[in-house]
Amino acid sequence: MSPPSMMGPRDRGAVQMPRLLGRAALAAVILAYTVYTIGPFLWLATMSVRTTEEISRDHYAWPKTFHWEQFHQAWVGSNFATYFWNSALVVVAAVMVVTLVGAAAAHALARYRFRGNRLVYAVLFSSIVFPPQITLISLYQILVGYNLYNSLFGLTLVYISLQLPLTVYLLEGFFSRIPQDLFDAAKIDGYGDIEIFFRIVLPIGMPAISTALILNFIQLWNEFLFAVVLITDPEKRTLPIGIRSFMGENFQDIGMIAAGVMISVVPVILAYIFFSEKLIRGMTAGAVK
Amino acid sequence: MKKARLGFACAALAFALALSGQAAAQSTQITMWSNWPDEPAKRDWVSARVSEFEAANKQCTVKLNFIPKADLYTQAKSAVRTGQAPDIFYMEPDQPEFLAGGYLDPLDGIVDLANLEPWAKAAWTSRGKVFGLPVEAYTVEMYYNKDLVKQVGVTVPASNQMSQAEFTELVKKGVASGITPVAQGVGDRPFPGAFLLYESLLRKLGPEDYGKLLEGKISYSDKRIVDVMTWVKSLVDIGAYPKSISTLKLGESHFYFYQKPGALVFPIPSWFSGRAFAPPANGGMPADFPLGIMHFPKMDEGKCPDCKTLAVAGSYVLFSGSKNKPCAGALLKSMATVENGTKWMEQVSLQTGIRSDPAKIKSQRADYFAELTKRNQEAKTVFFGTPLFHYRGKCADAFSQVMNSAFPTGLVSVKEAADKMDAACFKG
Amino acid sequence: MKEASLPIVQESSGPAGKNPVGPEMDPRRASWPVLAFFLVPALAIYFGLTAYPAFKTFIDSFFLIEGRETSFVGFAHYRELMHDGTFWVAVRNTMIWSFIAPILDVATGLLLALALYAGVPFARFFRVAWFTPVLLSYVVVGILWMWIYNYDWGVLNVALRAVGLEHLASSWLGDPNLALGSVMITHAWKWAGFNMVVCLAAIHSLPSEVLEASELDNCGWGAKLFHIIIPMLRPTLLNLYILAFIGKMKVFDLVWIMTAGGPLWATETVSTYVYKRAFNWNTFDLGYPSAIAAVWFGVVCAAVLILNRAFGTKERLEY
Repeated sequence: MSPPSMMGPRDRGAVQMPRLLGRAALAAVILAYTVYTIGPFLWLATMSVRTTEEISRDHYAWPKTFHWEQFHQAWVGSNFATYFWNSALVVVAAVMVVTLVGAAAAHALARYRFRGNRLVYAVLFSSIVFPPQITLISLYQILVGYNLYNSLFGLTLVYISLQLPLTVYLLEGFFSRIPQDLFDAAKIDGYGDIEIFFRIVLPIGMPAISTALILNFIQLWNEFLFAVVLITDPEKRTLPIGIRSFMGENFQDIGMIAAGVMISVVPVILAYIFFSEKLIRGMTAGAVK
Repeated sequence: MKKARLGFACAALAFALALSGQAAAQSTQITMWSNWPDEPAKRDWVSARVSEFEAANKQCTVKLNFIPKADLYTQAKSAVRTGQAPDIFYMEPDQPEFLAGGYLDPLDGIVDLANLEPWAKAAWTSRGKVFGLPVEAYTVEMYYNKDLVKQVGVTVPASNQMSQAEFTELVKKGVASGITPVAQGVGDRPFPGAFLLYESLLRKLGPEDYGKLLEGKISYSDKRIVDVMTWVKSLVDIGAYPKSISTLKLGESHFYFYQKPGALVFPIPSWFSGRAFAPPANGGMPADFPLGIMHFPKMDEGKCPDCKTLAVAGSYVLFSGSKNKPCAGALLKSMATVENGTKWMEQVSLQTGIRSDPAKIKSQRADYFAELTKRNQEAKTVFFGTPLFHYRGKCADAFSQVMNSAFPTGLVSVKEAADKMDAACFKG
Repeated sequence: MKEASLPIVQESSGPAGKNPVGPEMDPRRASWPVLAFFLVPALAIYFGLTAYPAFKTFIDSFFLIEGRETSFVGFAHYRELMHDGTFWVAVRNTMIWSFIAPILDVATGLLLALALYAGVPFARFFRVAWFTPVLLSYVVVGILWMWIYNYDWGVLNVALRAVGLEHLASSWLGDPNLALGSVMITHAWKWAGFNMVVCLAAIHSLPSEVLEASELDNCGWGAKLFHIIIPMLRPTLLNLYILAFIGKMKVFDLVWIMTAGGPLWATETVSTYVYKRAFNWNTFDLGYPSAIAAVWFGVVCAAVLILNRAFGTKERLEY
């Protein structure tokens, strides 16, 4: 599993596909699939710079005049900056905490033998299947009791609990494959259990941890149900709720909705293009194997 | 004069600064949730009432939020349970559970009830008390495009009411000339697809039996009901509705009617105005649109051709767990005046449950408003409430899935639809 | 004790196969304080924010909770549930979705990963492009696909009409026979990229000797795929399948935004039905939706356990 052998099969794979016909077919499929994934997105982009009147005349025309002012209007007319900041705050905090807490639990479950190990694992994991709608009301009551209702901190706590099972599941699988020898050696070198976690498990588990980070981030960034119930103050809305209320305020204004959606999506896409190599390398290093 | 005013302003400012700490402690903030984020005229009306109130009552400030209806209901439902609901929120009479759960305070003694229309008061009356401020009211109307109807070769009778045969003819001619006869969309609402059928049922059965039907005391297998359903089904089969009806949203169905591709008629409540009178660039109706209002067709052997449905929609209620009832009550009271009712009619071009002074209404849409008023005067009998005002739970769900969606889409036969409705609603 | 001097941060199974430490200081054991340090935060979060609310829900399922009045009804909700037609439709739809759609997701992901692995030019670009839908929120995906499926001007119908297949143009979300499939496709569109990345990772970590050997044997791509790659990726694929399966058992947002369960309950899922009963019906009763949630919890747990057993996913640990 050293780097050279990882690159090997790929190069040979390239040599393995000599037939021109196969190549052409592959290219066609790949092209078609690319259109399928980013086509809708480009369509959205063209609509975002056209007025609704222009769009309803022809939904697929290339914009003649670029109505950038729609972006300005959408930005000024709604609180996208606030929504964006709120989302970022809640999601980043929740992702950091849940990943650390989840990693600690996953490590204990993957490494140590103790009575009830599998029980704890099953308990933590089983909550992954619970339909979220119904913890919703009880969670709501708990948050109200602690004065955390309609607060970003309360939402953060809920988000941590939402992503915990997935995090434990992903990391436990990876951590349990770290060879025991490493731990034995570390122990002999005098590392304590907690040191081992921070100095060995976390660095070695980085590929899996970054996968967990990404997954948690994506899911929470787009979370909708809990946000709509737990946050009522427009100043505290997260992005998905913001987009929806924006849609509600522009009921038939397709051009404006498209502009709003673009505003909400572009920063994520940009960040992704910038970081994609790192993210995908993290995932490619493999966690869900 | 100017100087004096300036001096006064300075003094006021100094005073305000001196007292600011104290004033902040004294003023109470109340929260108010309203629907209508996408209907500018209604928004403006509410915002204006709130700022007037704040100007007149320095001790109260109001945090007013406009939230889409579906989200508002979800949030209100979880909020009342834990006593965290806003002091005043938007509600419609078809959500009786808030009242039944004891979450609403009566407005008797808070609001001047003499300023409410009797029928609107009735919609919110329970155990002898009134629980909602009925701001928005509506009748179910049949809007039409005068030019397109003429273009397909149909003349609307002088009575503004077609017969069953005439309406069938209109639908056929529309289909023949490639124009969708009836605009309608059920993509995001549980009721629009049923307007034509239920308004027809009302005119066929008369208010008494129609009321019994909605109470579950008459079966859908009743001959008169089957007749009307068969007729509507025949229209559906001819192609009366848009092919996209099942996914068309309420806002889109408006657009469909008056912009693109255009339709002959549009059966919708009179809150049509809320979206239609938005600026055309934002999806509203073109200024020169040839809009007409006709009655729903009279039924053969119908008991009540001049019946019509009247209902109360958007209202404001006072949360029983509110900690700022004096301010909240005062705000509601300040809204419920004849003057404000008149302003609503003027600005929104829609009925209201608050009394108004017809003589003083100077609508920007005077012609439209005159026509709407005339159609309402022509209707002799008013039936109160749409089906969802009467239906609950499983029955309401069956109504929205079957009568609102599957039936006008042509997915179910008359028999299947009637059976499904009876299974969910008929109490024998 | 030579191994001990090896650089620690190196993922190497090392030459040692035997346990160098005596049983009295088994390194797989830890004192309770240490275990508590690792487990208590997670367990606290779990009990406070998941188990307790869930338990409350379970208790609620034996009560009728109307407004402020709560009355004990025993198993009445569960009995009613057995005769609730809509619930069973929702179960059927969710089951179809959960069992079938993951196959689509995982197969697409695998094929895309193989395409990239085969060394197409601009692989980096494709990898980014194909992953993009994963980043979009359901709200955005919902809006976009409702436009795509639009009867009058949606891409799909416009394309069908353009190539003369007018009769195939349909109301994709409005026809009960097509609606579920249409929403499933949208869901797959969003998630295929994720499966692709994970598959790609797994392919890259396959032992190269095996692939080399297969090349020496002059295997065709098909044979290589079915006899070598898929069997070797089995644990990854099964795990992806189970992850997707769980996701689909809970699916809510996309359905709620696109069809809200319609037309004629064709896309009603258990989650949307629970939500409707809790928030959209004219009742405050939380007991009945709680009962649905409780039953569904049992069903999903059982399904996951059975899948795990059937797939023998234990082997991922040894892999």
